[in-house]
Amino acid sequence: MFDLETQIHSWSDHLRAHGKLSDADIHELENHLRDEIEDLIAAGLTPDESFLISVKRLGNVDAISHEFAKVNTESLWKHLLVEPIDSLAKQLNRRDIALVVIFALLAGTLFKIPELFGFGLLDQDGEIKIFFIKNLSFFILPFIAAFFLIKRKSELKTWATILGIFILAAVIINVYPSFDPHHTEVLTIVHLPLFLWLVIGAAYIGREWQGSQGRMNFIRFTGEAFIYGVLVMAGVMVLFLFTMVIFQAIQIDIEKFLTEYLLIYGGFAAAMITVYLVEAKKSVVENFAPILAKIFSPLFLIIMVAFLIVMMITGNSPFMEREFLIGFDFMLALVLGLVLYVISARDIRQPANLFDYLNLALIMAALVIDGVALSAILFRLSAFGITPNKLAALGENLALLGNLAGLAWLYIGYFKKKFDFSKLIKWQTDYLYVYFIWTAIVVFIFPIVFRFN
Amino acid sequence: MNVSKDLVAASATPLILAILKEYDSYGYAIIKRVKEMSENQLIWTEGMLYPVLHRLEEHQLIESYLSKSEAGRQRKYYRIKESGLTELELQKKQWEIVHNALARTWNEESNS
Repeated sequence: MFDLETQIHSWSDHLRAHGKLSDADIHELENHLRDEIEDLIAAGLTPDESFLISVKRLGNVDAISHEFAKVNTESLWKHLLVEPIDSLAKQLNRRDIALVVIFALLAGTLFKIPELFGFGLLDQDGEIKIFFIKNLSFFILPFIAAFFLIKRKSELKTWATILGIFILAAVIINVYPSFDPHHTEVLTIVHLPLFLWLVIGAAYIGREWQGSQGRMNFIRFTGEAFIYGVLVMAGVMVLFLFTMVIFQAIQIDIEKFLTEYLLIYGGFAAAMITVYLVEAKKSVVENFAPILAKIFSPLFLIIMVAFLIVMMITGNSPFMEREFLIGFDFMLALVLGLVLYVISARDIRQPANLFDYLNLALIMAALVIDGVALSAILFRLSAFGITPNKLAALGENLALLGNLAGLAWLYIGYFKKKFDFSKLIKWQTDYLYVYFIWTAIVVFIFPIVFRFN
Repeated sequence: MNVSKDLVAASATPLILAILKEYDSYGYAIIKRVKEMSENQLIWTEGMLYPVLHRLEEHQLIESYLSKSEAGRQRKYYRIKESGLTELELQKKQWEIVHNALARTWNEESNS
């Protein structure tokens, strides 16, 4: 039985796979194909005849994408740094670059202000003061949020809500006291950036923050921003070392200048530039995070299966120190990242492929390993009492476990053709709430519960 | 008779602009209209038309918008802009110059 819809879909998927066409182009061509088919059907041809003739008339995919590429390549890399062709986009791009420069300078200067009042970056022992570490997020993340609020032309209400959250968080964090051994303070330092990053997500997504599409885009953005950020930061470090070495060659020690200015301004600028680049490139260049995920997910699967087998043969159960529990948290987060970025690059309509099965296998292996680890920690927790660190590590573990277990269950249902793939996406994007709430609890409630110890 | 590739390419912009001046249209309809007006002599391919449309859009001569077709499909329509009309007038003049020159030389040929 000839199914016209499926055929048209597979044709446009084929176009998409060629990579040179934008979604809008493909949509337009698909419409064109449909028009042609309708005309031929109206002329008395059968659907399959019409489909074949229309596809033939449109020419082979290579030729089409080649013609399109002539237009598109012009904009491919140029979109990133060189001026885009049409003037409105050019203006917007110029404004974005101006924003990046201004925000980077503002963030750096803001970071230097306490020093003017005698509150330097370093304490007597030459260590960075805890105040700066704790508040680092507040020096840069609000600017990133503002960047997106401006770009998305957000309403005043959104501005107020998001900046309100930032201010409120800043006040609470700094009002909270901290007593020896500072466990809750350290937890705050670790969880606060994650919490605030999710707040930025609301600014990034803008009006459609309730839809899974927008949230998925934010997840993609996060992955790309991470990769680009590491690369840009590596560039800053190279610049730093290079400058230091050549000035040393002429016996001038500028390390103080470098650490106090270049690193601070450079670091903030790196963050802003990363955000700008990832936002500008969006769909122009293929995303990198999914490629990394696809390379490493089979490798991680092999290691994890090997680990399980060795554990079973030797009978060694994981020794439950807190560090190891954090290690297992990392494993879950890694697996989630791998699975997530493979999913993020996936076309929803595509049938299940090898990577979907790999994903499920990876999740299953992670669940089994974590199951063993959790049973050990729960035993220890009940025997040695609760500390904030253990509780935080445990909470993270449960949150990630829930996320992965849900994905596994949905994957199995999807393979059984019980529901379609969009359900997985919805689950994953809705689950962001759990992380938002959990990080908020650790940052704001934990200190109170554990009396700021 | 096949019209040469270069000539097809050169005449694409004024033809598209002229068609869009009559009414807003979309890719498939434009190809049909060109075929009709040239009495089946000019058969445009999609691989040629869409890139030209997109380039014109980039140059702000035309703009596109999405609209539902009778069949309820989202279709990308193109509309000529103010600068497109000016460009069309300019092209018209240029083509007239070429056309007149050709016509005169060919007339002289046949007269002599």
